[in-house]
Amino acid sequence: MKIIKKTINQTILSSAISLLLTASNLYAADHEAKDTQKAHEGVNAHKLFEENCASCHGSDHGGFIAPALNAATLKGRSPTALRTIIMTGSFDTLMPPFYGKLSDTEIRALVQHLQTTPKLPNPAWTINDMKASLKIYADESKLPTKPTYQLGSLDDLIGVAARGKYGRGEGSKAVFINSKTHQKIGEIKTGTAAHIIDYNPVNQRWAYIKTDTAEIFKVDLYTMQAVRSIKTGYNGPGLGVSRDGKYIMAGSFVPHNAVILDANTLEPLKTFELEGVDPDGKMVSSDSGMIIGTPFADIFAIALENAGQVWVVDLKGDFPVTKITDVGRHLHDAFLTHKGRKLMIAAYDDSKVTAIDLQERKIIKKLDAGCVPHLGGGAAVKVDGRTLGFGTNFGSCDKTVVSVWDLDKMEVVKQIPVLGGTESPAAHANAPYVAVDIISKDRRARAVQLIDKKTLEVVKTLDVGGHAYFPEYSADGKFLYISAGYSGDEVVVYDSVSLKKVASIPMESPAGIFSHGRVKYMTRGLLPDEMVK
Amino acid sequence: MKATIFFPLVLVALSVSGSLQAANLFAGQDRAANVCAQCHGIHKPAAGAPFPSLAGRDAAYLKEALKQYRSKKRVSEIMNAIAGSLRDNDIDDLVAYYSKLKP
Repeated sequence: MKIIKKTINQTILSSAISLLLTASNLYAADHEAKDTQKAHEGVNAHKLFEENCASCHGSDHGGFIAPALNAATLKGRSPTALRTIIMTGSFDTLMPPFYGKLSDTEIRALVQHLQTTPKLPNPAWTINDMKASLKIYADESKLPTKPTYQLGSLDDLIGVAARGKYGRGEGSKAVFINSKTHQKIGEIKTGTAAHIIDYNPVNQRWAYIKTDTAEIFKVDLYTMQAVRSIKTGYNGPGLGVSRDGKYIMAGSFVPHNAVILDANTLEPLKTFELEGVDPDGKMVSSDSGMIIGTPFADIFAIALENAGQVWVVDLKGDFPVTKITDVGRHLHDAFLTHKGRKLMIAAYDDSKVTAIDLQERKIIKKLDAGCVPHLGGGAAVKVDGRTLGFGTNFGSCDKTVVSVWDLDKMEVVKQIPVLGGTESPAAHANAPYVAVDIISKDRRARAVQLIDKKTLEVVKTLDVGGHAYFPEYSADGKFLYISAGYSGDEVVVYDSVSLKKVASIPMESPAGIFSHGRVKYMTRGLLPDEMVK
Repeated sequence: MKATIFFPLVLVALSVSGSLQAANLFAGQDRAANVCAQCHGIHKPAAGAPFPSLAGRDAAYLKEALKQYRSKKRVSEIMNAIAGSLRDNDIDDLVAYYSKLKP
């Protein structure tokens, strides 16, 4: 999920808010200055921040999926305007309204806290902290040996990361759906917003959910319950499972580290401090970007976002690391191709996607993308003898496109014009269209566009509603699932050929959608024969 | 399956309001999604949210409440500001939309 830029709807809302501001200004001017210290006594603003804001804005006040809130970023901002945003939420973003949830005194105390707190040094979260956070919810030896519900194949499960409006609490869960009937099978409460769902490629009963606050839940899909969890950091979406199903690797934005876990027990085995020399020659400490296990080898690949490096970790001995440097500026997400041997990784600040050979462990080529490429799990399809990769871009620029690359020749085939910025493509070997989500922060956010695999033209625009994003095909390719996002509060299902709406599944602020079928086809859009055994 | 629900609803709205100005459900839906739903949700508010549900509520009640918030007869820092900029037809559209929506 991308970093959110605050924009407020230029409709009724601006007038409503300016009215509110005018009204409150009189009060604020009078009281804010002299009463600030006194009124906030007894309010633990740091605790309020941790419990209400930190999962999106970062425990270190450095930002995560929402903007950084600290003395520097909020310098000169009107405290009244900040109070208003906290009260009403920020429309067209994930920021919810805290009016009624926090008292006026608490909101004032928070604003003062945010405007006076610098970005904090990276707090530590060591292997011992992780070990101490391991929780066990069920005795796995007593679990049934078959699913407790009727389903032809577990691949027909689709998992949805339901964030919940507040990014935490009762609304935050992973919801699992039967993608043939579109009925809910089960849900796992995650406490804070579920962000990533991954599946064990060897033992189909296990799934792993990572939350915005970096807890990883091991989930038994047969009984639809969490059996264990561990907290691997403060935040960061990075999560991968090894091809043998024995290891998980997770990486954090805060602190700057990654960890390999035993996929069975979730016990941490080794941590890695993420730092290195960036493409501009500067030694930096780095956020963890994508982490991926590949069917090609017993390795993990991890992106060091700020250091612009990809590390290849061998799953043997003491987990030795091979560092590939100079991959690009501000790396983020990636997808695999060529039986998992080649990795395509997005470099935000270069507007390039870098192809890496995981066998040779070196860069093949840097390919042009649109502005700020965000691959969102990626998509690749085989058409007329070519393997084509599709790259979404979420930057705002004059020309918004989806890139199409020939992954054999590693060259740009086409830049397809689309309505706006895009975040995640979906493809399936059996479906005729590649779906991309338009995320520009206006009415276009309701749309998902469909690109014909053969003609590489946009052939249809779906008005999904809400802030539609994260399209995903069911494992059989017959249905296209789309999250209607923040204000939609539903997952909408379309027939993947006729594009007629066939179902709606209510859910609070649904985001990422993850088909269990992904374990079969490595990258969405490819056939299972792309996998090596 | 919104589309299939809305078309009959529009017909109902037209026939109920007769020759008077018809409420526009689509305009109501648009405004509800962009403004009201931020707090009140479409079908229901968020889990743990302190806001009342609007879907399926009595139309006369909703209309009266919005007008009272607009005139500040009913006092709420937020609702007075939000409702303050609504025109009569905006209120009609919103009320038509939310009152006919299944919770």
